[in-house]
Amino acid sequence: MKKDLMDILACPICKGDLVLNISKEDEKEIISGTLYCSKCNEYFPIEDGIPNMLPPELRE
Amino acid sequence: MVTITYRNANINLDEQVYDPAEDSYLLADVAIDNAKEGMKVLEVGAGTGFVSAVLQENVDVDLIATEISPIAATCARASGVEVIRTDMFTCFKHGTMFDLILFNPPYLPTSEDEKVPGWLNYAFDGGPDGRDAVNRFIDEVPEYLNNNGMVLILISSLTGIEQVKERMKACGFKVETCDSDNCFFEELIVVKGTFRESEL
Repeated sequence: MKKDLMDILACPICKGDLVLNISKEDEKEIISGTLYCSKCNEYFPIEDGIPNMLPPELRE
Repeated sequence: MVTITYRNANINLDEQVYDPAEDSYLLADVAIDNAKEGMKVLEVGAGTGFVSAVLQENVDVDLIATEISPIAATCARASGVEVIRTDMFTCFKHGTMFDLILFNPPYLPTSEDEKVPGWLNYAFDGGPDGRDAVNRFIDEVPEYLNNNGMVLILISSLTGIEQVKERMKACGFKVETCDSDNCFFEELIVVKGTFRESEL
């Protein structure tokens, strides 16, 4: 995902702000990492460039 | 991975993801006709990313897509589409606005015993009358549209075209039919809805 997606992404549970933690990125985008909602204490993974914003019960 | 090419876009397919069919081609063509350079575009439930990939290959738009299935999201990304795994609009901040929102919903009337296993069900299952997903979309989409923003929704005669149009009008849209295609067991149309806050 491109970094500027942070401008529009919110926690899907409380709609609050998210904290971005990057594990791997290239010159264009973030490949892996997490998006963290401190209010819900929930991590949303970024894997293979795709942020997974589904609440845990919908993920798999 | 199987790849198809349409209007200069290359799209990756997967057997567990809905293959682009008449509905996909119709929506992609209408999207190209209606999109303008520089528009902020969202495709909801992009599947393989076919419509998004074809649109961004042909018109210089700023596009993102959402998709619930991990397999479909991987296809869409491999087709060059910026994709987020989410359930319709739930990942977006309040105040996130687009100029054009595209939706090819799961529109088949589906009973409990007609559901298919796995993520693929999301591509077809429109609930008992076929309108579960499209109704939810119509109710939620105005919050994410600029004034004079536009939606393009693919609807089948199996889904109830007039019922969908009436719901759009009730939610503040000026509604017109863009294009249609007669397949052997259904009529497919793209409905264009232009959102005007003043009509609410």
